[in-house]
Amino acid sequence: MSVLDTIRKYREAGYYKEFDYHWGMTVDLDRCTGCEACVVACQAENNLPIVGESSFAQRREIKWMRIERYWEGEYPNAKLNFIPMFCQQCDEAPCETACPVFATYHNQDGLNTQIYNRCIGTRTCAVYCPYEVRYFNWFTYTWDEPLERQLNPDVSVREKGVMEKCTFCIQRIRQAKDLAKDDDRRKVRDGEVTPACAQSCPTEALVFGDLNDPESRVSKMANDPRGYQVLEEQNTSPSVVYLQKVHGDEEAI
Amino acid sequence: MTSINRRDFFKFVGAGGAGAGAGYLYAELVKRPQELLVPQVVPPEDYSPGLATWYNTVCNQCSGGCGISVRIREGEAKKIEGNPVHPVNQGRLCALGQSGLNALYNPDRLKTPLRNNNEGRFQGIEWEEAIDELAQKLNESRARRQSDRVQLLTGNIRGHVNGLIGHFMEWVGVASHMQYDFTRPANLYEANQLTFGQSMLPYYDIRNTHYLLSFGADYLGTWLSPVHNSLGYGHLRQGQTEKRGTCIQVEPRMSLSGANADEWLPAVPGSEGSLALGIANVIANGHYTGADQAEWANALTTYTPSNIARLTGISEVDIERIAEEFFTNASLAIAGGAATAGTEGVATHIAVNALNYLAGNIGQKGGVIFNSDPGFAQTSTFEHANYQQMITLAEKMKNNEVDILILHDTNPIFSMPSSSNFQEAMENVPLVVALSGFMDETTAMADLILPTDNYLESWGDDVPEPAVGFSVASISQPVVSRLYDTRSLGDILIDTARMMGTEVSWDSTEAYIQDVWSRIYAQQGGDPSGFDNFWRSALEAGVWGQETASTNQGSTVKPFPVNQLSDVSNKLEGDESEYPFVLHPYLTLTFLDGRGANLPWQQELPDPLTSVVYNSWVELNPGTAVELGVKEGDVLEVTSPSGTIRAPAFIYEAIRPDVVAMPIGQGHEQYGRYAEQRGVNPIDLVVPNFDQRSGALAWAGTRVKILKTGERVLLIKTDGITRTLGRQILGPSEAEHG
Amino acid sequence: MLSVHNRPPKIQAIAKQEFREGVRVNVSVLEALKPLRKSALLGIIGIVGIVVGLKINAAYSTHLKPVQPIEFSHRIHAGENQIECLYCHSSADRSPSAGVPSVAKCVGCHERIATVRDSAEIAKLNAYWQAQEPIPWIKVHDVPDFVHFTHKRHVLAGLECQQCHGPVETMDRIERVADLTMPWCTDCHTLNQTDNGLDCYTCHK
Repeated sequence: MSVLDTIRKYREAGYYKEFDYHWGMTVDLDRCTGCEACVVACQAENNLPIVGESSFAQRREIKWMRIERYWEGEYPNAKLNFIPMFCQQCDEAPCETACPVFATYHNQDGLNTQIYNRCIGTRTCAVYCPYEVRYFNWFTYTWDEPLERQLNPDVSVREKGVMEKCTFCIQRIRQAKDLAKDDDRRKVRDGEVTPACAQSCPTEALVFGDLNDPESRVSKMANDPRGYQVLEEQNTSPSVVYLQKVHGDEEAI
Repeated sequence: MTSINRRDFFKFVGAGGAGAGAGYLYAELVKRPQELLVPQVVPPEDYSPGLATWYNTVCNQCSGGCGISVRIREGEAKKIEGNPVHPVNQGRLCALGQSGLNALYNPDRLKTPLRNNNEGRFQGIEWEEAIDELAQKLNESRARRQSDRVQLLTGNIRGHVNGLIGHFMEWVGVASHMQYDFTRPANLYEANQLTFGQSMLPYYDIRNTHYLLSFGADYLGTWLSPVHNSLGYGHLRQGQTEKRGTCIQVEPRMSLSGANADEWLPAVPGSEGSLALGIANVIANGHYTGADQAEWANALTTYTPSNIARLTGISEVDIERIAEEFFTNASLAIAGGAATAGTEGVATHIAVNALNYLAGNIGQKGGVIFNSDPGFAQTSTFEHANYQQMITLAEKMKNNEVDILILHDTNPIFSMPSSSNFQEAMENVPLVVALSGFMDETTAMADLILPTDNYLESWGDDVPEPAVGFSVASISQPVVSRLYDTRSLGDILIDTARMMGTEVSWDSTEAYIQDVWSRIYAQQGGDPSGFDNFWRSALEAGVWGQETASTNQGSTVKPFPVNQLSDVSNKLEGDESEYPFVLHPYLTLTFLDGRGANLPWQQELPDPLTSVVYNSWVELNPGTAVELGVKEGDVLEVTSPSGTIRAPAFIYEAIRPDVVAMPIGQGHEQYGRYAEQRGVNPIDLVVPNFDQRSGALAWAGTRVKILKTGERVLLIKTDGITRTLGRQILGPSEAEHG
Repeated sequence: MLSVHNRPPKIQAIAKQEFREGVRVNVSVLEALKPLRKSALLGIIGIVGIVVGLKINAAYSTHLKPVQPIEFSHRIHAGENQIECLYCHSSADRSPSAGVPSVAKCVGCHERIATVRDSAEIAKLNAYWQAQEPIPWIKVHDVPDFVHFTHKRHVLAGLECQQCHGPVETMDRIERVADLTMPWCTDCHTLNQTDNGLDCYTCHK
């Protein structure tokens, strides 16, 4: 059973009349170099605040996309593994069960939403999230003039007391759907939506698309035998499939 | 019925009034503030409110030469992405390139011309006045026929803006234009000139190689063209159908490329070249069958595996295995970073070139491919200043032999060791004019500051170096209108020349670039009436090139000049008994040589290996740390024969016990609010030695000692526990032995 | 719940009396609240005051019908002269934002129309044009910044401009007729069975 089959287990009709899409991403850890181009791409696209040194010291940084480092072994056999971590858009998301105001819920596109104007800032969702990819605005962050001119008008600027997280660049998805409708298509084609992180990735490690479509590039990547889901035992059923790093002694797949 | 007395009546009136007031005010309070709907006076032709337009131009954050597309909404730049049709980066872009927006909209940009009032204060002046002052001084110098006493010193400028600078030098009488860029691989250029007779960089085909052997070159982070290299790396790992490529990294401290390599070999610092020759020895004696085999075997006799193993700390078995793998696979050897920044940097590069020659990689797919000349007329009246020339310049300035120093976008005071006394020498120059965008350390020394445009506001063009195997040129155009009262370098030069009474046939840099391109267009046999269309389409695409195979290929490999091989043991400055550690400064992909330190996104970008933000640190091996009783965050005093700096310790598995590593980039005294007074600059510790053959600074050849100060600080980093602890994070098979 | 000890003395007296006389006990809560009557009245008057205040604000506020820098009349342009909406708000069918005409566009027409060239309002327009400054129109139809609203999809779906903006062609000064609140949006989305029209991510960015 490939990872894609385990993903589909919660995709039965009933919850929604129809799942239009199942947006998902694959992360090829054998390509990922940890260069963090995606981190800045996300910051630029999604109006992430510049929080300042003191906020970092208190671990109040806001980075929807981050690179985690895991070391193995000791000198001189030390090995470092990078893994990009961002909202896994789980089908069985623990955060969604927690929100008292339904600011976070699962929509018909398989996205785990975060509606800022609804959020009251209980921070429960962040506690429930096993991937720790939800970020809280402890302050209303400001931009030194004229840095605010860079802000993306298609994305809200969040203020104090609001939880935020990766949206799979919902503004880009929305735009692609809009253009599809112009062509009288109900659905967007594979490759028409690329979130900022995947767009910038210099090694093409991130692939985004519709997991519902078996012909999409992301579905094919997710079927790779190297595929796995992070913290699978938590049974959160993430929409992000990681492709395990190949080690030197193994043959290429 | 309760009677209402006078007192009650007033109470009721009061309550009613207060309620009405409160209601009115509440309604005011919940109202959204009125917003304005401001139309354009005259809309630009392709403007549509609410819709984004993308403009193509060239990235200027490093010398990789990536093409970029900038997203513009309502006249403001919103995002920088790679230009999908540009062959260097193919739509991708690194962190530093994307942070270019922080440079454009930086609150600390220079906004008006400034004059130093000699009390360390700068006063705003008018452009006319500033240009007039510069023109007057240049006129005086020209009248005295002292063009050799005017020095033009710039950062890395590519493309035809150099031609304009050349014209300017002719017009106004400037004898010398030097370009100084700390990150320029001067040793690589020199070595390739000596071995291949090529002054251009060849194309290192990482994409198609099966076996990549890197001696200190952080090709994924900072080496030559990181985005293009990364594209190649992705293909090397998972794109090749026949084989997943293998990467071997030789360096004393793990870089980003080391972290991604299959094998990380911490050779003794400075011995990388010897290791290359040791591997070459095994190949020459066991595998290589070329006509000059005897010559090679003879030249490499002393580099036996046993000798080299003793010297480098890499076992004989490993040397022989790597030699065999390197010879039998389609392989590629590259060198860079600290490994080639010693006193024998050129020799190390030559040794690595020899490896490529012996394994037959020259001109092969997946090997070293020579670029053909782009064929565009490029007037180059400048020379790339190496460290030695900069020292000579400092001497000249000190001896009052320079009257006018014109600076542009270069910061030698930061990127040269303080013991080189460049700053003191600059004080002797009567007129220092800085054409820069930011108040960096060198600009702060100027008498006159002329603020320049950001690269997203100005015209230019570029021929990427290293090229991608065929000739490519990119045009850079302004994508936003000027934010402040700034001018581009070319415009300032034209204005100055005009002020001096020179007839200049171009009104602006734009006109000049267009004129040059119309000539290139004509040379290529284009119909003159079609130039406007050509120009328009070139601007739209942002890139122009001819995808023809490189001419200089495998069959025409010239015999390798074996006599160029020489001693490759780098000299380390400082006595080992007094200074027990080797200092390993390294370029970071966040700040490069310090130019990125004023960008808040880069300051907030966790270092890829340590996850530290907003600071400098000293990396130590855990064994060394235990020996010295140092814990993370302990402030250490690092002393070299030429200086002392203090920074907190970071304990790190992937560094040799006899090496301490420090990132370059922080430690600015000037350079805006995000950079100032943050961390330290390890270049200040470097004893200013240089490579005799190239004149480049040997910034990796200094020994240091470490003293624990007893002070502790919180080293701010984003990482928590950096072990998987058996959790299934890296995949099912990792969990078993994680 | 009143406990015996805390009962006001009057009620206790009545209770005792009634017990003594052997008649049915009849304790009135209203009776007990009698001393609070004045405070209650005070509160009610206060609340009525607040409502009156809100109404006054709504009645006298120019929020829904602000005075614009130029007394531009949609009645004359769109009503009498029958100019298409899209002639001026030209990006309404291809962009999220409908767009306001540039000053150049206004002047472009008015240069040619002699009859009104010298009127006071046109003089204002010409003044802006002379100074090459934009006209600072006040936004009447404004949704909060966390909402993604696109004119394009609504126009292309065949909605008349008047459905949301009211009978603009009859207004001398533009006035907001719809309240532009979320229920107002979702009512229409529900009625028309808009594709994913009730998904938060359709409109919230």
